[in-house]
Parts: sequence; structure tokens; C-alpha cells
Amino acid sequence: MATTTTRTGLTQTDIINRRLPLVILFLVVMASFLLVRVSQYQWLPPEVEREFQLRSAQNTNSVRRLPAERGVIYDRDGQPLAVNTIQYEIGVSPNLILSDRRREVAANLGLILGLDEFALYQQIDLQEQSWVLVARPVTADLGQQIADLDMLGVVINPLSKRFYPQGTLAAPLIGFVIEAENNTRGAIGVEGSYNAQLAGRVLEQEVSNVPFQLPTDADGSQRGMDVVLTIDRDVQFWVEFELTKAVQETNATGGSIIVMNPRNGDILGMASYPGFDANNIAGIEDPKLLQNPAISGVYEPGSVMKVLTMAGALNSGTITPQWTYNDQGVLNVGGIAVQNWDRSAYGIVDATTALAKSLNIGMATIALEMGQERFYTALRDFGVGQRTGVDLPGEESGILKVPGDPDWSESNLATNSFGQGVSLTPLQMITAVSAIANDGLMMQPRVVLQIVDGENVVNAQPSAIRRVITAETAEIVTQMMIRAVTEEGGGVPLAQIPGYVIAGKTGTAEIPSPTGYEFGTSIASFIGFFPADDPQVIILIKLDRPAGYWGSQVAAPIFKRMAERLVLLLGIPTDDVRQALTAAGGIVTER
Amino acid sequence: MTQDSFQHTLERFGWNTRNQALALIVPGLLIALVFAGLYLSQVASFATTNRQIEELIAERDRLERQNEQLRGEIAALETMPRLLSHAEGLGFRPATATDIEYYVIDGYNPNRSRTVVPPDANDNFQQAAVYDETFSGWLQQQWDSLQQQFANFGG
Repeated sequence: MATTTTRTGLTQTDIINRRLPLVILFLVVMASFLLVRVSQYQWLPPEVEREFQLRSAQNTNSVRRLPAERGVIYDRDGQPLAVNTIQYEIGVSPNLILSDRRREVAANLGLILGLDEFALYQQIDLQEQSWVLVARPVTADLGQQIADLDMLGVVINPLSKRFYPQGTLAAPLIGFVIEAENNTRGAIGVEGSYNAQLAGRVLEQEVSNVPFQLPTDADGSQRGMDVVLTIDRDVQFWVEFELTKAVQETNATGGSIIVMNPRNGDILGMASYPGFDANNIAGIEDPKLLQNPAISGVYEPGSVMKVLTMAGALNSGTITPQWTYNDQGVLNVGGIAVQNWDRSAYGIVDATTALAKSLNIGMATIALEMGQERFYTALRDFGVGQRTGVDLPGEESGILKVPGDPDWSESNLATNSFGQGVSLTPLQMITAVSAIANDGLMMQPRVVLQIVDGENVVNAQPSAIRRVITAETAEIVTQMMIRAVTEEGGGVPLAQIPGYVIAGKTGTAEIPSPTGYEFGTSIASFIGFFPADDPQVIILIKLDRPAGYWGSQVAAPIFKRMAERLVLLLGIPTDDVRQALTAAGGIVTER
Repeated sequence: MTQDSFQHTLERFGWNTRNQALALIVPGLLIALVFAGLYLSQVASFATTNRQIEELIAERDRLERQNEQLRGEIAALETMPRLLSHAEGLGFRPATATDIEYYVIDGYNPNRSRTVVPPDANDNFQQAAVYDETFSGWLQQQWDSLQQQFANFGG
């Protein structure tokens, strides 16, 4: 092998041998530099690291919007009142469908969806788009039929739809949902007031497109919480059934019935006529139908108010049950002449008889003896003119004019005592009288019993608003209300049910109009609770402009029918049985 | 003797620089191929498993939606008007207060404190995970997985 020699006398091998360490050194330095740089990337400052991760994620990740499943609404026995059902959105990706299959896809979709096959074919064939909407919403049955065909390029996206399986039952109380920008939103009723709990959380979730990275699953906690109502589905059904029947029988223009447990404020049933179908909100022409008059419709209660006047007077010590007055048939107060409902004079009358016979002059006399401050303090204590704070949206506070208000006059003191010139909602009325049934303690009315968040169950505890009257006063007023129902010749025989002592009061109120009061029309009502010695349920019946006019004639029979159903539904034995069983130390059970 | 025969073999093989390089490159390539195969097998296995997980998640979501759908349908079939008409069709009539008889159950108190059986100490026993994987087992698993993928690909 020949070697060449340079001018310096060195061979090529010598030169290579002399330069090689330099080259090696250079390579080592460069490699070290690279190693140092690589190792530096392992310990980056957090903000730089985040930026790199973000850039990396942009290449491999996409953001998926996960709508939240809305919580279910149940009645107190677990009957579903609002659930979610499936609907589908059907789309096609034309660029994924082979040209010779497009006619077949159009034919299949057209047949199932009842759409024009040719129009569908045009959509699939002519539009070179990545996705085209075909139909939305599509029922679960049809969606499943399409899914079963397993056609490439046909995209089926599930849509959640709120469904109210009980139809019109309790619709104003449950409410409905509307499509909001990001999620469904409760509009009225429980759907509205508990929207934050029911709605859940919509998540924007990053999903990796790298096939060997673990798929991201939805976060289970995003689902809305379930809500259990105090409403009893069966009670609610009969409330609506009896209300509809009563309105039709009496040709009333509307009405409300509320059934409540006075011990804890649980609303067992609440209905107003007319109602609506929450499954068909689009079909409602009159938006007024969406209101819940039981909590938002104010009315002059008429004689039912006398119960509150009597309780306030007894509790303040203004009168005793033995108190009497001379009823002369007319009482002039503040420029108006107060008369009894039958225009009669009753002579010397005691407090109990004044309530039992529903005498306007008796109540006006009591109010005058109480004086403005005591009278209006008593009404305020009963919650007149204030919202009850029920957990439903849209509650009205009613109207109570008090001394000092520009439109208050001295005659109001007299007329307010028997329920004129003062307005309440049905819920306010029943809540106030519930205080008498509950030994003087006024409970906060409520419609939600529990909130269920997965394994966690939060029980809504009953809460008292305030003590309105003493237990002794409550007992006295209860006895008076019993007398108001059972009074010989002046009671309410149509409200009585055999075997049970009822404490109640009728109300027949004229309807105010811009020119005074409407002629020949009334709001007929009856409020009662039973068993009178241990009240378990209180019912308010209210009918607007019924043909029968008087509360004792049109509202009392509905109370009776409702009460007869409730003793069965709630398992309330007759008074003699209950007292005998209690005396024997046993617990009642039904056969 | 042994050393001589080894030397003889080397001489016969012509153990020159080219052969030495080949002797290094070929096993190196083989090892690289084995690792590449294992890597591909592992990645494909992950991808397959993840696809299965995705399908399971989709199936679970579908079943949950179907459950909700059925819950709604059952509730709609159990509405009071339907139950009433069905009951009337079967000859039932609405009950009245006189249809109910009440009994005293001596000594029965529904509000008594509940007697709860104390949990068995064994109930709290949590079985520790047992690690029983062997290298041969792992290798077999990879081989099976590879075969499965080829079978899937072919099918």
C-alpha cells in the first residue's frame, strides 16, 4: 500500500493522527452541548413547561363539549315527575359515503324519517361538506332504527330531552326547561328555583387524539342532582281531579287547591286551574297559563280572614272567648256601614258565636277594640303582606295597607278584619292558618324534601318562621273553628266527614274591580284541618266566580271530597279509632 | 485442543474486518427489530385496548340513556289515570274510609332504635394485590397479542 508524503515530510496517516484528537474533541464538545441542552429541557421553568405542553396538546388534543345530564325530580314516594329521555340528531358526512352507496343511504334515511328521498340524495350527493344535518330532533325509536342499519357516514348524536311522564300533573309547580346557550335552564317552578342543583355542569373536556393514550371519560360529578319533592303524586292527582271537577260543575273561571302538612310545612299537593302541559310548552298560547296562581295570584280572602283576626285578638289579650258585643246589624266605621253577610242583627253575641256565624260586625268590633297597632301587628305576624319564602319562584307578597300608607283609611281597620281590602295568595292564607293548626308555630312552606347528589342525600329540614300565637290561643281558635263547621243551623254540614272532627272556616269574598266590587260574583273558599285534636293535614279550597257563590255551598263539598280521599291516602283513622289506639299504646297500621 | 479447534474455525471462517462488522451489525439489527416489533406490538395493544375502552364507555352511556328512557316510559305507564282505568277494568272500585280496619300491634313501635348487626371484622379485610407475572408469561402475552393483531388484520 503506497503512502504519500507532504512537503513537511508527514504522511497522510500522520496528519490524520494529529487531527483526529481535534475532531474527536470537537464532536465531544458538540455532543456535550447537545446533552446539556437536552438535559436542560428536563428541568424547565414551570411557565415554559406549561407553554410547551400547551403547544404539544394543540397538535394532538381537541376540545369536546359534554352537556350535563339534568337531575331527576321525584315525588316524596320516589315517583318520577321529570326525567330525561333520548332524542337524536341525524347527520351525514357526504365525503365518507361512496358515490354508489349514496342512493341507498338516502332511500333508507328517507324511509325511516319520512323525508323526501330525492331531497336527501341531493344533500348527500351534491354538497361536498364534511357534515350535513338531516333531522333534529328524532325520536328514540327512529334513532335506534337508523343506528341498527350501521351505515357508514351517517352520524347519530344523542340529545337529552326533558320529559314529564305524569303529563299535566303539577306542571306549574314542577316547571319546565328551555334551551339555553350552553345548557338547558329551568324556567319556572322547581325546575327554575332549583336550576343550580338540577342543571349540572357542562364540561369543556380536552380529548387526546393519540390512539394509545387512555381515553378520557366523562366526569360523573357533572350530572345534576336529583330533587325529591314534598309533593305526593297521588294526593296531587286527586287535588287536580277534584279542582277540575269543581270548576266544571260550578262554571268557575279558575281556582286553587293546596294540601299541606301544618306540622312541617310540607306541601303535599298544590294545583290551580287551568294548568298546562309541560311536554308541550310551544302549544301554550296564553303566557298567563304558565303562572302558578296558588303562589302568585292574590285575592281578597273574605271571611277566612276572621280566623286570623280572632286569633290575634285572643293572643293579644284584647278579648277572651267569653267576650261579648251587641250586634245591631250595622256598624259605622270611617264613613262606611259594616253589615253582616245576611244583613241581620244578632244582638248579644260572644266571640265564638261571632266566628261560628261569620259575623262581619263582630270582627270589625274586635278590630276596633284591638286598635290599629295590635291589629296590624297580628296580621303581619301571620305573614299577611309578606312572602312566605316558599322555595318556588314568582311568589307574590299580597297587599296589606297599613296606617300611614297614602291609600289607607280608618274603614280599612274594620273591613280588613273580615277579609276585605286586604289581599293574600292562597299559599299565604294556608300558611297563616297552619300556624293555628300547629299550636301557634308557623312553619315555612316548602316543596323540596331532599336533594340527592350521588351517594349524598341532603334532607331539607322543616323550619319554623315564627311563633305567631301561643299554644293556648291556638287551641281556643281551633275549638272555635270546629264550632264554625259544626254549629247547629249555621255550620258547614257539607264540609263534615263522618268519624272526623274538622276545624274550618268558609270564605265568600266579593271581587274588587276598578269601580268597586263586581256584582253577583265571588271567590268562594274553605280552609280546614283535621283531625282537629292532632292536625295532620290542612286543605285550602278556592274557586273563582263559581255559580254557587257561597263558600259553604261550593267550596265546602270539595273540601269534604278531598278530605275523604286524604284519610285513605295518608292513612288517617277515624278519631275514635285513633284515640282508642293511642290510649292502648299501639301504633296504627292499615289493613 | 479446544483452543486449537476454535482458532482453526476462526481461520477457516476468514474472520476479517468485514466479517467482524457484519457480526456486530446483524445481531444489532436483529435486536433492534425485536425491540421495534415489541414496541409496535405494545403500542398496537394499547391502541386496541383504548378503542375497546372507548366502545365500553359509549356502550355504558348508551345503556344509561336507555335506562333513563325506560324510567320515563315506565313512569308514563304508571300514571294515576292509567292505573285507575286499569283497576276499574279489573273490577276494582275506589276504597272508602269504611273499607279500612285498623289494628293495635301490642308493643310495636315503629320509632324504636334500630338494631344493627355489627360489621364482621373480616368484611374490612382487603385482599392485597398479588404480583404473579413472569417474564415468560409476559413474552407469551406479547406474542399472543401480536398474533391476535395479525389475525384481526387478516380477518
